[in-house]
Amino acid sequence: MIRLEKVSKRLGGTLVLKAIDLHVKTGETLVIVGFSGAGKSVTIKHMIGMLTPDRGRVLIGDEVISETSGRALQRLRRRFGVLFQSAALLEWMSAAENVALPLREKTKMSEEEIAAAVHEKLAMVGLEEDDDKSPSELSGGMRKRVGLARAIVTNPEIILYDEPTSGLDPVTSRAIDALINRLREQLGVTSVVVTHDLMSALAIGSRIAMLHEGRIVELAEPQEFIRSQEPEVQRFLEAQYITKHGPWERTAR
Amino acid sequence: MLGEAILHIRHAWTPRARAEIAYQMFFTGIRSLGVVTVVALFTGMILSLQTGLALRRYGQEVNIGGAVMVSMLREMGPFMTALILAASVGSSIAAQLGTMTVSEEVAALEIMAISPVRFLVMPRLVALAIMTPVLTFYGGMVGVLGGGIIGMTQLGVPLQAYIDNATRWADNKDLYVGLLKAFVFGIIVVTVACHQGFTTTEGAVGVGRATRQSVVISFLTILIVGYILTRMFYS
Repeated sequence: MIRLEKVSKRLGGTLVLKAIDLHVKTGETLVIVGFSGAGKSVTIKHMIGMLTPDRGRVLIGDEVISETSGRALQRLRRRFGVLFQSAALLEWMSAAENVALPLREKTKMSEEEIAAAVHEKLAMVGLEEDDDKSPSELSGGMRKRVGLARAIVTNPEIILYDEPTSGLDPVTSRAIDALINRLREQLGVTSVVVTHDLMSALAIGSRIAMLHEGRIVELAEPQEFIRSQEPEVQRFLEAQYITKHGPWERTAR
Repeated sequence: MLGEAILHIRHAWTPRARAEIAYQMFFTGIRSLGVVTVVALFTGMILSLQTGLALRRYGQEVNIGGAVMVSMLREMGPFMTALILAASVGSSIAAQLGTMTVSEEVAALEIMAISPVRFLVMPRLVALAIMTPVLTFYGGMVGVLGGGIIGMTQLGVPLQAYIDNATRWADNKDLYVGLLKAFVFGIIVVTVACHQGFTTTEGAVGVGRATRQSVVISFLTILIVGYILTRMFYS
């Protein structure tokens, strides 16, 4: 579904991505983890054409998004839904208006059809009762869920999640994880998740990729990932109290 | 960006765009009315007093009507209104778009295949292109009124004589050139503000910098372009 081929990118004099190869399979949830500055967000920005590689190319299906611009790029982007780290809701609109925005702007649906679609998606994220609240009235977790409803309202094939649990308490984080899993099961979408939260990665990932200094140092299913012999992976696991002795075993030190 | 925004004016009749343009016109026009009124009134009063005192030496203070009218229509009205809008509306636009840029709201629009220029810039461009000339004309008339008040109370010029003199000296060209200037200044304010907003980086510090830059660049551009337009029409 998504393929990065030998993608390199230099930003501000630093080589952020170093000829990475990555293939996201249709219907899977690929989680990209790594330390801050490892190039995780840069990687998903390449997937959606917000950044173009200095070398290499990015394909969505058979189409090379990294060499696409203008209307063709807009058409390709309609295959995506994106949940931003900050949710990126428009502050002067209500939750329902935010979710309705892509339908109002980019489709010819009637207001009745839009209202029904918005209600359905808000119900999927458990916020159908909060549709008239403004973003400033919503908690961090609720904002993320509204952002998620907006991301899925156009029924995209691919959903990109940029730090979906950052800034949330553990209970809300696990609720977001459950929501991501449910959306994959209900909608059958391909998902790419960027996160620091390894507990979340293990809970939602079909596979987990670790980026370190612009290279993918590990790419494995969760059970194999936590047994990785890569020093950087082990350091990352230990920092979050996860050991190789068991997939969910945590040891406080 | 300006060219793209002009191309998007064809979308100005959609319900959302109409509502947004109406709101921006209200925000630009009605919210600025108070400050434009006060500044224009006192500008006209100062202009009248200074000109009147100079002309009184030659017994010509009856001609202050023409002097105030021509000054307000040609130069003071457009400059005064544009500088007020640059400082109030332009800075507000730069701060809002800057905040939206650093909080990824502009990126979210792009990802949803919604042009930020069509969604955010075009309504503001249309609103300022309409409201700056309207406010300029209003400010000019208030300034002339302020001049008349000073003429009557301080210089002993009857109101009717002041009005007769004002309408005799000013011609249509003064009005058209003043409104043209205001139209151009309005476009400058919105273009500079939106550009500064969209190029904001570095969070809250960047938003502050973009806001300040928006005002400074708008002021300088308005003064330079104002001079060029004056040269074009009156040299």
